[in-house]
Amino acid sequence: MSIPSTPAPNQPALRQQVYDSSRRPHPAVEELQELLRFWHLVVQWSRRNIKLRYKRSILGVLWTLLEPLMLMTILTVVFSTVFRFPKQAFPFPLYILPGLLLYDFFNRSTMQIVEETVASLGLASRIYVPRSAFALATVITYLVNWAIALIPLIAIMLVLRQPLSWSLLTVPLGMFLAAVFALGVGLLVATLGVFFHDVKLTYQVLLTGWFYATPIIYPVEIVPENIQKALLLNPLLHLLALVRQPVILARVAPLENWLAALGFSFAALAAGWWVFTTRRNVFDYRS
Amino acid sequence: MTTAADTAPEISTGAHRDAAPAIELTGINVRFSMPSERIVSFKEYVLKRISGKLEHRELWALRGMDLVVQPGEFVGVVGRNGAGKSTLLKVISRVLTPTSGRVVVRGQVAPLLELGAGFHFDLTGRENVYLNASLFGYSSRVVQRHLADVIAFSELEEFIDLPIRNYSSGMLARLGFAVATMFRPDILLIDELLAVGDVGFQEKCLERIHDFRSRGTAILLVSHQVGAISGHCDRTLWIERGTLKSAGSTDEVLQRYSEGFAES
Repeated sequence: MSIPSTPAPNQPALRQQVYDSSRRPHPAVEELQELLRFWHLVVQWSRRNIKLRYKRSILGVLWTLLEPLMLMTILTVVFSTVFRFPKQAFPFPLYILPGLLLYDFFNRSTMQIVEETVASLGLASRIYVPRSAFALATVITYLVNWAIALIPLIAIMLVLRQPLSWSLLTVPLGMFLAAVFALGVGLLVATLGVFFHDVKLTYQVLLTGWFYATPIIYPVEIVPENIQKALLLNPLLHLLALVRQPVILARVAPLENWLAALGFSFAALAAGWWVFTTRRNVFDYRS
Repeated sequence: MTTAADTAPEISTGAHRDAAPAIELTGINVRFSMPSERIVSFKEYVLKRISGKLEHRELWALRGMDLVVQPGEFVGVVGRNGAGKSTLLKVISRVLTPTSGRVVVRGQVAPLLELGAGFHFDLTGRENVYLNASLFGYSSRVVQRHLADVIAFSELEEFIDLPIRNYSSGMLARLGFAVATMFRPDILLIDELLAVGDVGFQEKCLERIHDFRSRGTAILLVSHQVGAISGHCDRTLWIERGTLKSAGSTDEVLQRYSEGFAES
């Protein structure tokens, strides 16, 4: 029948040994401490997401590579035959691809954070885990995806004989800021999304609008000047500059784009983190 | 890695009285404030809020709850559905912050509340062990070191590399239990959970739980069935509408509880 088992060893010490409800730090601080304590959860969950993504689809990794390329091809055909943009010094496919990748990352990761947060409600109401771990794992998952999609981007650059400059090395930094921004926005929308199902639908519509409010498929010069100024308030515009300019202009994006992207991203993260963690009790008291 | 209970002489039954209490609840209140009608859309919420039609119903899940559990004690909690048993466990496992009152929990908590939390059906048993264990905060290195024991305990050697969608519910429960109890915790919280797998495996689970207890683990077992509690618990609490209705030796409390049921 049952094999005699060896006694289980003592639980490995996770740093916090005594939990005293009267001596808890501010929720925003506590969540951060717990997230660090549970970083293995973030690692495991990211690995799980990546593994599942490639297990489910037949083409696997290939799909991640093909998807943006197919979209790029369609848009290039449409825009070079239907609309006629002023002739640029760089090929149109390379103009749109970095933006498509950025938008795809932002769109998917923020939507998925909402999904994961809602899905983890039941779990997190039974076992203590820092809920932000799932959101962070989601962003990491799509960041890895984005990094893989850089391979075809570089391949196209080579094919189209676009110069590969050292400025490309700043692209990962731009991607990092985009991840910070996505995490902040995701946490913000997720907090509302937990309570109301129409939040997700509204956000989805907003995302579509956001796509067109970002000069991904059109050059910003074609919009009227006063609207151009208004577009400067769009964080994605600055993030886009960081990941696109090294590709099409072979130079690092201007400092003002870096500063704006930095400011917007961390402001979004601070706001999202604050709202998400201080409403924690409301999460609990809901289920 | 060593705890106070580790170095203390092993006592087979009863509490390790020399150590500080494992669980201390003082004057715990938990108040849920629920909208009297369910509002699911944000639009509706804003409209109701503006027109001042947002009404809340208050519900006290726990009221003035006091509880002290010593290391090595096995305490039962009975009560009907909705009496506040699960809320009590949530307060101890820090999932829920009490509205007022103080909770002190000393040591590592293992909740046996949801076996196989985070299991994904497309992944293999082995992959799910790592995943499930990460929810308790264990690193993959630590899991790797004890993986053989987990697999042996769950008796799933032949199936561990198959996707768990092929597992029976009993196999899933066995794997979940093996992961949740791969280490001895200082506090073990159990919610209606002694029915895992077949009789042989249940015996093995109980054996492990009692082994934990003899090495200093404080155990809280929550159930609405009298049968699950008698025979295991040193003492028992009866919770009714969020307050302590009765506490004392298991036999006495269960007797009163059964009679209380007969009355209503």
